[in-house]
Amino acid sequence: MLASPPSARRVLLVVVAITAALVVAVICGLVIGPTSISTQRILGDALSRVGIGHSTLTSTQSTIVWQYRAPRMVLGLLAGAMLAVAGGTYQGIFRNPLADPYLLGVAAGAGLGATLAIVNVSNNAAVPTWAPLLAFAGAMVAVTLTWIIGGRSMKSTPATLILAGVAVSALFTSAQTFLQQQSSTQSIARVYIWLLGSLASASWHSVDIVVPYVIVCSVLCVLAGRALDVMSVGDDEARSLGLSVRSLRLLVVGASSLGTAAIVSVVGLIGFVGIIVPHIVRLLVGTSYRRILPLSVIFGAAFLVLCDTVARTVMAPSELPLGVVTAVIGAPVFVVILSVRRMGTS
Amino acid sequence: MTMVQIDHVSLRAGSTTLVSDVSLDVTGGSWCTIIGPNGAGKTTLVAAVAGLRTLYRGSVSIDGELLADLNERRRARLVAYVPQHPEIPAGMSVEEYVALGRVSFHGVLHAPSLRDREVVAGVLERLELTDFRRRDSASLSGGERQRMVLARALAQATKVVVLDEPTTGLDVRHQMDILELLKTEVAECGLTVIATLHDLTLAGLFTDRLVLLSRGAVVMDGPAYDVIRSTQLAESYGTTLRVVTVDGIDVVVPVRGDAHR
Repeated sequence: MLASPPSARRVLLVVVAITAALVVAVICGLVIGPTSISTQRILGDALSRVGIGHSTLTSTQSTIVWQYRAPRMVLGLLAGAMLAVAGGTYQGIFRNPLADPYLLGVAAGAGLGATLAIVNVSNNAAVPTWAPLLAFAGAMVAVTLTWIIGGRSMKSTPATLILAGVAVSALFTSAQTFLQQQSSTQSIARVYIWLLGSLASASWHSVDIVVPYVIVCSVLCVLAGRALDVMSVGDDEARSLGLSVRSLRLLVVGASSLGTAAIVSVVGLIGFVGIIVPHIVRLLVGTSYRRILPLSVIFGAAFLVLCDTVARTVMAPSELPLGVVTAVIGAPVFVVILSVRRMGTS
Repeated sequence: MTMVQIDHVSLRAGSTTLVSDVSLDVTGGSWCTIIGPNGAGKTTLVAAVAGLRTLYRGSVSIDGELLADLNERRRARLVAYVPQHPEIPAGMSVEEYVALGRVSFHGVLHAPSLRDREVVAGVLERLELTDFRRRDSASLSGGERQRMVLARALAQATKVVVLDEPTTGLDVRHQMDILELLKTEVAECGLTVIATLHDLTLAGLFTDRLVLLSRGAVVMDGPAYDVIRSTQLAESYGTTLRVVTVDGIDVVVPVRGDAHR
């Protein structure tokens, strides 16, 4: 934690560094893979598409870059950006450094939805195309249920809502466990793979599905930055300063849950991004959500694409689940963040 | 002219009545202090005056406007609130913290205007916080911190400020400093102050009017001189009190009962 608010120079430096990370991530996403194609040739091909120069890529190489690597990279950017900004927003609105949308039932709801879809298809089928739809529905049902249980009472506090989220998650998880226990070993394996999260099935179609959600929801979250700074003095004081706390909470919890549900339904459960990205950004630029949220969008996007690059290269030709990579990188980073914060406060 | 009108207000938590049928009219540009033993309902009452509690019965209006009819933003333009234990967010500078008082003017989607920044600078100057403005708000001492919270309330530029135990945790000198600052705002800017105070001597020293609250109801209401000397005061606190006048100042002294002599 910074001892004092950061200087403008420091913030600028961080913005430059994070943007550079994004550029590196985009290049890694397009260039690294079993077929080696150089950055210059990919760049040349990209320029030739807008009428500058001409491409030196074969049609196979072009397909690899633009139909496999590019959509996967773009989906990674979108997922990372959304998960990170949603986590940061949750931490602000609940004033709890460990909050993220998974906490209010998004993860458990999506898990149940996907499991329902997967165990109900015949053994030879892969994950059915309508699994994302059910996962999305499950996530939204779970969050709505949490909101109804925890947010309805007059004296509802952020803690009530989080407890309701824990209860709803437990209910959905047990239903999912029951379903899995009733189904075949093969579908259990498929459910498991889905739960660990992956960008392997990315296509321009899946990008098209999530783009509107990610744009609308992350813009809403970023716009809430100033309001979340006001929230840092607590509900009562924020209201006395003129903030409509109930409407704000409904709006930003709605936006970040919806965006996260859309992402989870396509890429599965990728953990840790929503927790560690905003924390790293906070460590670098201080506690104002006006800075944390937009920078989390950029850094989250870069982070997830870099993790995915690791996921698809370290054990090539097979892939590590992306959720495993984010956890392996995320857990130690989180420990470091905690100890830095402790040093900052002592 | 009546600035704050508390009309037959009752507040409940579940089935427990915290404040019952309180009516008070507070004149503009005056200072009214609510005193009473712990659990008398002082905190609940002032939070209600700030529009932060749902009334069970009755109404509160400020400057002729019913609080229940207003949204948070319009309420924030009428009344500012300083809680007993304000939350001080780490990592926010003193200037940023005080500028929170201007949110109801520029809104949460816009940056503070030039006017907002001028007001903040003026308040920082008036409360001698200018030198601290870049410091982390969480790094201030108790006295500086309380001045900063008061600065945020004054930055709201409201006609009424409600304070819950503004001297909590401060040493004698800093208690006097805060109360003197408020007294100046009342005298020079026509601010209306409604505050709760534990220290009866200070309450009598700074305030025009004392309202004695006990078990949620008004027991006595009048000039400080009368309330401090009333038999109801000691009765409400359940102890023996004596008023001694030193250099023209009424000092309220607790007296040990016979059993302790």
